[in-house]
Amino acid sequence: LFNTLAAVRVKLNTMLLYSRSSRAMNISTSGILRLNRSATYARSINASVSRKSFCLAADSKILEKSSVQTPKHTIQVLDENGKDVTPRPVYQPDPAAVQSKHSKIFASDTSGGTMSDFYSTTYQTTTNASFAGAFTRSLFGSGSVSIGSQSIMESMSEEIEDPSSKRDNSISLSDVQVKREEVKELIQEEMLDDMVDLYLVESDTLCLLDMPAISVSVDSMEAESVKERNSRYTELCKNRTGNDKYMGRSMQTFNGASKTKEVQSEAITMADAATIANNWDMYDSFCSAGQGEVDLSTDTDKASIAEMIHQNHGPTRTMERTMSVISSSTIVSSSSSRMEMEPFVVPSESKPDPELILQSEEFQQHLFVMERIILENIYQPKLAAYRQLPTLEGMVLLEESSLDEEGPPTPALERLWSFSCELTTGRNVSSMAWNKRNPDLLAVGYGQFAFKDQKPGLVCCWSLKNPSWPERIFTCQSGVTALDFSASSASMLAVGMHDGTIATYNVQSREKTPVIDSSDCVHKHTSPVWQVRWINHERALSGEDKGEALISVSADGRISKWFLRKDLMKLKRTRNDRFKRQVGEKERKSEALISRQAPGLCFDFHPTDSNIYLAGTEEGHIHKCSCSYNEQFLETYQAHKGPLYRITWSPFCSDVFLSCSSDWTIQLWRQDLFTPVLGFMSTQRAVYDVMWSPKWATVFGAVNEGRMEIWDLGASILDPTIVNPASPGVKLTSLLFATETDCVLVGDSDGQVSVYQLKNFTAGEGTQVGTLEDIIGSTLASQL
Amino acid sequence: MAEVEETLKRIQTHKGVIGTIVVNAEGIPIRTTLDNSTTVQYAGLLHQLTMKARSTVRDIDPQNDLTFLRIRSKKHEIMVAPDKEYMLIVIQNPSE
Repeated sequence: LFNTLAAVRVKLNTMLLYSRSSRAMNISTSGILRLNRSATYARSINASVSRKSFCLAADSKILEKSSVQTPKHTIQVLDENGKDVTPRPVYQPDPAAVQSKHSKIFASDTSGGTMSDFYSTTYQTTTNASFAGAFTRSLFGSGSVSIGSQSIMESMSEEIEDPSSKRDNSISLSDVQVKREEVKELIQEEMLDDMVDLYLVESDTLCLLDMPAISVSVDSMEAESVKERNSRYTELCKNRTGNDKYMGRSMQTFNGASKTKEVQSEAITMADAATIANNWDMYDSFCSAGQGEVDLSTDTDKASIAEMIHQNHGPTRTMERTMSVISSSTIVSSSSSRMEMEPFVVPSESKPDPELILQSEEFQQHLFVMERIILENIYQPKLAAYRQLPTLEGMVLLEESSLDEEGPPTPALERLWSFSCELTTGRNVSSMAWNKRNPDLLAVGYGQFAFKDQKPGLVCCWSLKNPSWPERIFTCQSGVTALDFSASSASMLAVGMHDGTIATYNVQSREKTPVIDSSDCVHKHTSPVWQVRWINHERALSGEDKGEALISVSADGRISKWFLRKDLMKLKRTRNDRFKRQVGEKERKSEALISRQAPGLCFDFHPTDSNIYLAGTEEGHIHKCSCSYNEQFLETYQAHKGPLYRITWSPFCSDVFLSCSSDWTIQLWRQDLFTPVLGFMSTQRAVYDVMWSPKWATVFGAVNEGRMEIWDLGASILDPTIVNPASPGVKLTSLLFATETDCVLVGDSDGQVSVYQLKNFTAGEGTQVGTLEDIIGSTLASQL
Repeated sequence: MAEVEETLKRIQTHKGVIGTIVVNAEGIPIRTTLDNSTTVQYAGLLHQLTMKARSTVRDIDPQNDLTFLRIRSKKHEIMVAPDKEYMLIVIQNPSE
């Protein structure tokens, strides 16, 4: 207990705070002992406890007030040698510090002189201590409060301090040292030689806990009085019930007035959000996340992240994608937080300008497709008929016709549609050619035949899917007179013009200018080019290039072969035929010869032997020539009396060819005979075009000024099988058979290319080659 | 640009075409030959239908995508060319 001199570890703050409670501090010299916690300070301090024994030297405040004590009032103990072994007070705070740091808690504790004050202060210390200590232990809560300043100090300091239980005695030591020095000085000065009497006095017993007994033993002196008291009390209790002296009274305590307090908060609005994760939605996120991952793994630069995010923001699902991007990132948190920021900024796309939409490529493409679909709706029955697909209308008609008609139905032409647009109206169709690779693509050349009304020519590439507007439009400076598609490079179109120029166009590109033009060539044609054809030479002749070459015939009497060399069109005069006039035949000697060459109008190469070709002139002669001989014709066939407009070999019989001219006749020849085998004449009009049917050897079509005829030699050699008159005022100028279907295209002078279908027409099974030969044979036999 | 205008004009003058509408992604008409209320109605309804059609196509195969949509009814045919940024609608009466 306190008898034992114990020291308390203190910290400066706590010490100063509870300076009051430091009265009972004794600093031991022996050591620092931890005060027992359970030490309590008796509340009911007996009066025996004197101030003196408290060593209140530490507390200057009290000491000042108390008249009894002196600041330096200490019992000094000296041993034999004169050493001062006075038990030092456990705690002696620095007086200056104490004064300055008197806490407010003990503000009322100014008076400390009397014992009652002391008690009160201690009381207050207790309460204050308990009050101030938020972490009051049950120590204070219990009835018996330890007012031991030491304990308070200790416990307080324990709570407040670092639990490492540091013993900080520095301050106390310093305080002590101050005191000690003063004390020592006193000793040294005065009492060095004196004999001092030492009185060892036992300090008073401090009762820390006194729990008086509530029961008394029977033998003790007080037993009687206690018994008496007890009996009195029981009597009292008995009397109480009916006694007037006692009144039971009930008391009502005031309940605290309750106050209702209402708090209103904003209603939490709930919004339902739902999303459907479709198959494609997940696929999209996966694709873009995969793309994002690749980007992230390769480059951790923030700029690239921004780029990647911007790339991803196009489609609508930005949020999901950015989430997946974030989740898949492996970047340091700083940059990833940056990434989280950016996607939320990005979704505000700039709205594409309406003009931009209209100009975009996709829009044009969509328009293109849309137009074709609209036209398909319009032309669907016709196109289906072209393709020889059964149409609903056709089915109905067939049923009707099978019921009504008895004999075989007459062959007829049914007009399906016509290729024309406002660009082409008024122009004369001069030539037509199918594309070699895409049989639905048709090139039509527009140009006047006659010299007098020349206007700039036009080449239109029509597609079957759009009969109302051509796919490509090329304007040429002069009228177009000849066309041909190349077979090797299917997009090359050779165009021969009225002024002798030959140009090649690439129909794949959208350019309006020719790829190659022959207008710069030295040996270009000077007169209208009446026919051009791409010919494929299998055998290379003396250093010529193997492959396709362009052959052209023009009115200046030359058949020329053109080679295309690297953007230049060079005329290679490897074969230069000149048509010589047969001076003897025609008496034109007297006339001034403008030229010795007869204008060539048409030619055709042998279908199997590409060396041999036929050429027709304006004089009506047909010359058989060979590529190897440039100077001379092999043969000449003379029958026509007018310019030959067309010569064509039969695709089935290699010896037979047809020729048509303006002398109203079509002649059928055989290669070895110099007179035509058969001649056909139907009207007294010039026949502009004739073409063998690609399907039957005995069928060919012819076009003269007024009408279009289909001849079937197997049916009749005198009259055409089908005749289709032209619209009044319109001349028919060219004819073309469709290769895959039973359709015929006829071009007229009004710019229309009409498509006709051959209905109910058949020349028989197979190609009828035998029939043709039979016919020829029988004709020849009959002629002999 | 002129080509686009020409093509649009040509489409409008084809036989049986009742109207042509071009709307952007928000449903605001850019070009139309019909009156505003009809345009807005068509655009709104067809937009939803196109979304559904595209969703259907892509659900079956996510690598596929819708390129064209045609609805043939008793009276006419509605043709829709959808795109990310716009929608081209043409109404045609094919039997005219």
